[in-house]
Amino acid sequence: MALRAVRSVRAAACSLRVASAPAAPCLMRPWGLRAGAVPTLGTGSTLLSVLGISNFAQEALGDVVYCSLPEVGTKLNKQDEFGALESVKAASELNSPLSGEVTEINEALAENPGLVNKSCYEDGWLIKIALSDPSELDELMSKEAYEKYIKSIEG
Amino acid sequence: MLIPFSMKNCFQLLCNLKAPAAGFKNRVKSGLILQSISSDVYQNLAVEDWIHDHMNLEGKPVLFLWRNSPSIVIGRHQNPWQECNLNLMREEGIKLARRRSGGGTVYHDMGNINLTFFTTKKKYDRMQNLKLVVRALNAVQPQLDVQTTKRCDLLLDGQFKISGTASKIGRTTAYHHCTLLCSTNRTFLSSLLKSPYQGIRSNATASIPSIVKNLLEKDPTLTCEVLMNAIATEYAAYYQIDNHINLINPTDETLFPGINNKAKELQTWEWIYGKTPKFSINTSFNVLYEQSHLEIKIFIGIKGGRIEICNIEAPDHWLPLEICDKLNSSFIGSKFCPNEITMLTNILHRTCPEDDELHSKWNILCEKIKGIM
Repeated sequence: MALRAVRSVRAAACSLRVASAPAAPCLMRPWGLRAGAVPTLGTGSTLLSVLGISNFAQEALGDVVYCSLPEVGTKLNKQDEFGALESVKAASELNSPLSGEVTEINEALAENPGLVNKSCYEDGWLIKIALSDPSELDELMSKEAYEKYIKSIEG
Repeated sequence: MLIPFSMKNCFQLLCNLKAPAAGFKNRVKSGLILQSISSDVYQNLAVEDWIHDHMNLEGKPVLFLWRNSPSIVIGRHQNPWQECNLNLMREEGIKLARRRSGGGTVYHDMGNINLTFFTTKKKYDRMQNLKLVVRALNAVQPQLDVQTTKRCDLLLDGQFKISGTASKIGRTTAYHHCTLLCSTNRTFLSSLLKSPYQGIRSNATASIPSIVKNLLEKDPTLTCEVLMNAIATEYAAYYQIDNHINLINPTDETLFPGINNKAKELQTWEWIYGKTPKFSINTSFNVLYEQSHLEIKIFIGIKGGRIEICNIEAPDHWLPLEICDKLNSSFIGSKFCPNEITMLTNILHRTCPEDDELHSKWNILCEKIKGIM
């Protein structure tokens, strides 16, 4: 599953809801997960990232029938398996592109796992994590590099 | 041809798979056929986990053949209470396992063959694997009418399911496994895969029941041994590798370092039952007490296999509300498991040691509750 990470520039006075509309250039990684970094309200020093899967990944998966997500508070290291998406094709591992602590999971996916297919960049987000090592964001692939990568593996 | 797998062979083969020699990757056709000597479902599932986690499958696919003593295997995100008759399983000593791949619930016994096709993620192709199985079946019996379906089932004579499929995709590797019914006890299968539990509300993935048939019923020459050999032969031909089935012992730590821990984890209550997606039970039952029928209503919410919400409602004249509440709160946090309830009931009895009538009512209730677990 291809991974995509989206990073937004630290902006003043952003609320958590802005997570779905990142302002800055996208940084990505070839695992189908998207990460959007959004500053938390009040702390100013913790970067939050929203993880989801890319359009390429949701198409490859097929209809998602179940989302297995971690508990809030779970600590993740980069590349850790944090859950799975079950689709008609397979149970696919979800691996975290970033290290941090799970702060929120998308509860809507319990009743409506298809949101991951219908709206992978908006309502179909998976988890939010508070980054423990924001420098990891720099290691993620850029949007252009990601698209190039997808073309190379599809061909 | 079956070859006992010597230690030396094993090391060579597995080491080659882990670190392909530079320069040979594209020129040498490689792959491996393994067959388990164990019929323990947990040990065999652990082999799958081990190969998935540790083997480099680039250019070197692996076929794993295995059979289990009577067991029920549920998919990663399934609810065993919804899928099978746990009471019957306990009575008959049938093991319950939860696998890591998706899909539905299956019954295994020695009349069922399990096939696991390991590849890199890029080479993951279930249809290709199933077509290989069909070719193998037709090589043994050209008249056999076996087809693949869109759901990746195999159908005999256009109507009987003889194989079901499930898969797992990891970061770099993937596996597709499927069953093949040769001579399974079908009557037992049907009774075990029928859940008696009422009132379950859950978003766990549900199985799709099908009418099944054994290949042996169609043709007595289609035994498990014949079919495993035929599939291995076809696999070897397809990947242009030696037609050798390598027997492996899934408890061998020198071959598979760390595998016994994997098998242990698969047997834990936390994995088998605790990984059940959140669900609730809303039901009622009748209790006969001194010639009158009483209706007891139950609502239980279960998360992580443990009781999160417990609402047992009994008629107030039979069991006072405060006593009922005591029962309810004592169950919160406990595993949704008959043994736990027995233990809790005993603890409760000790809180009111002389009240025999109360004890007998609590016992009646608890027996009924255990019946829905």
